[in-house]
Amino acid sequence: MATSQPPLRFTSHHNLVYRLVLSTLTGRTVHISQIRSSSPTNPGTVLVYKPGLVTGSTAGTGASGGMITYEIPSNCNRGLSYFLIPLCLLAPFAKAPMKVLFTGPGVITSSTQTGDMSVDSVRTAILPLYRQFGIFNNIELRILRRSNTGPTGRGGGGEVQLVFGHQVRLPKTLHLMNAGRIKRIRGVVYSVGVSGSNNARMIETARGILNPLSPDTYIFSDVASAPLVPAPDKTNPQAKKKIGLGFGLSLVAESSTGCLFSADVASPPQGGQAPEEVGKQCAFQLLETVAKGGCVAPAAATTMFTLMTMGSEDVGRLQVGRDVIADPHVVQLARDLSKFGAPGWGIRDAPDNGDGDVIVSVVGRGIGNVGRKVA
Amino acid sequence: MVVKRKRETTVVSKPKAKEDSPPPVDNAQDVFRRLFEAQFEPLDLPASTAKSTNSDEEENEDDDGSDISGSEGDWDGMSDISDESNQVEVVEHTDAYAAPEDRMDKKTWKAFMSGKLLSDLDKPSTEPEPTSKKEEEEDAHDSANLKHDLALQRLLKESHLLDSADDLAPTGKNRLKALDMRMQSLGAKTSLYAQNKMPTAHRRGIKAKAASKEDRRRQEAKENGIILEKPSKVQKSSNNGRRERGVAGSSVGKFSGGTLNLNKDDIERVQASGRRMMGGRGRGKTRGGRGGGGRGGRGGGRGGGRGDKR
Repeated sequence: MATSQPPLRFTSHHNLVYRLVLSTLTGRTVHISQIRSSSPTNPGTVLVYKPGLVTGSTAGTGASGGMITYEIPSNCNRGLSYFLIPLCLLAPFAKAPMKVLFTGPGVITSSTQTGDMSVDSVRTAILPLYRQFGIFNNIELRILRRSNTGPTGRGGGGEVQLVFGHQVRLPKTLHLMNAGRIKRIRGVVYSVGVSGSNNARMIETARGILNPLSPDTYIFSDVASAPLVPAPDKTNPQAKKKIGLGFGLSLVAESSTGCLFSADVASPPQGGQAPEEVGKQCAFQLLETVAKGGCVAPAAATTMFTLMTMGSEDVGRLQVGRDVIADPHVVQLARDLSKFGAPGWGIRDAPDNGDGDVIVSVVGRGIGNVGRKVA
Repeated sequence: MVVKRKRETTVVSKPKAKEDSPPPVDNAQDVFRRLFEAQFEPLDLPASTAKSTNSDEEENEDDDGSDISGSEGDWDGMSDISDESNQVEVVEHTDAYAAPEDRMDKKTWKAFMSGKLLSDLDKPSTEPEPTSKKEEEEDAHDSANLKHDLALQRLLKESHLLDSADDLAPTGKNRLKALDMRMQSLGAKTSLYAQNKMPTAHRRGIKAKAASKEDRRRQEAKENGIILEKPSKVQKSSNNGRRERGVAGSSVGKFSGGTLNLNKDDIERVQASGRRMMGGRGRGKTRGGRGGGGRGGRGGGRGGGRGDKR
């Protein structure tokens, strides 16, 4: 490992997750400053992350029996997909199969107001994309317990298990230039700790909008009881409280060429939204995502581009919608990638396409999995 | 209840209609219509025809019999409604509900909601498709072929036994030999007809011959510079030179015909072991004495105690 290289310097909290993921995958040290520059209490937090083997560490609550248990604290206001998506980016390059159990009073499986997608959407819209990179074996994402966002927008009581058992030397080079046409729509509608009739109402509204457009529309319903998290008080240290009540809808549209577009809406933590409203919003959101065009949804674009960059030293091509490539996250990712030493992206207009799609050519770095030099 | 009451009124009103105004012959359809309206609800016909065929009795019938004081004004209202119904009705077909046969079954739900990826579900199921009659016939054909194959294999294997015989199925000695070969091919350790009882001299001869053959082979290999496998160590018999006896067998002598026969050697051996035991005890006494005097330990104490008793 080239430890002599100076650390890459970044500022601000933007794209923090992907910077750390790229740092781990490329083995470059990063120095990120001014992460909380606007915070009145502790501004100027600086993070220096040096990837590599941490010597002197001990196996604590983490690695026991191959299953890593990760506890998320109760003040977390991000959905679990915030943790899952970057972890899934790291997992194909691990040395051994990765099994992680997310638990604790901060696991929110639903979509959140902070813009994270639900765990269902990760399973149905993000993980299947890895198949196009030749990563498909023994990948499972089990939702052991559902939870919506807690009453103040923080915390939940879910439990999710990720098994990522397919490690590769290098992801395959991707050429995806035909978006195809929407073949079918699937969805999961969930209500946690509230009446299951909410599910039926959401399904009815969403189907009412989507069925005339795609007859192969099925939405699966899941009714779960509210999770209990410990809430000790003076009189009863074993007291527990219900958390994460609510309902939500996750929709996935699959095209004839295997492109996936997803939409997610959940009831707000303060309540006051009818299930019909949620169903309608989600259906329209799905239509909007599909209308953006290209072969990849905005939510999955960063995953796709990162995997393409980690691929073999070959030019991969991906057709994306103009709005998708103009997304600030994608632009920031492109800038960060070039800072990490990846060659720039080539962008040209897609031929014979009136939607204004562009074809992005990404050259792989050919680093791949350091732990699997022999595959 | 309501329906029943209605029927009663119609029964009353029908004869009235016949008495008052017999229906015109050309209006046969009207008769049927009136009959129909008497039993069910008034038909929605264009106002002109409705007015032409209207009579007071019918209005009474429309008012469910109870309200006899029906007026012409009511009927005008009806005609208004029929005017409104001329507008095009828009039916919105959203099909939001899934029909019961459309709904996914439990299996599909489980498959979808399991942790597996969506793409894995597209794989064709491994369930065997129902076999058609043609396939069954083919299966029968296959099994017959398999039988023939087996017979041919056996014939090829055992053909050296059959050179003299005419028929393919071996008989007599050949049959037993063939059976033995099959047993061995199925995993029998030795042949059924391997001789396991023979005179000692005979057996020794066989062993000596085998050993000499092996020696000669090794010698020749050594002379020719061929490296052979290492000689396998001679397996020591597990009973360490002692013969396996029956459950109630005696450890000495030879038990035959219900009597234990001891020869001189046996008697001597028994007596010798007894002497050894006595000697051992004697030595034990001296040792015990020493032990009692010197150490006073456990073993010594025991020996000493016995010594005192004597």
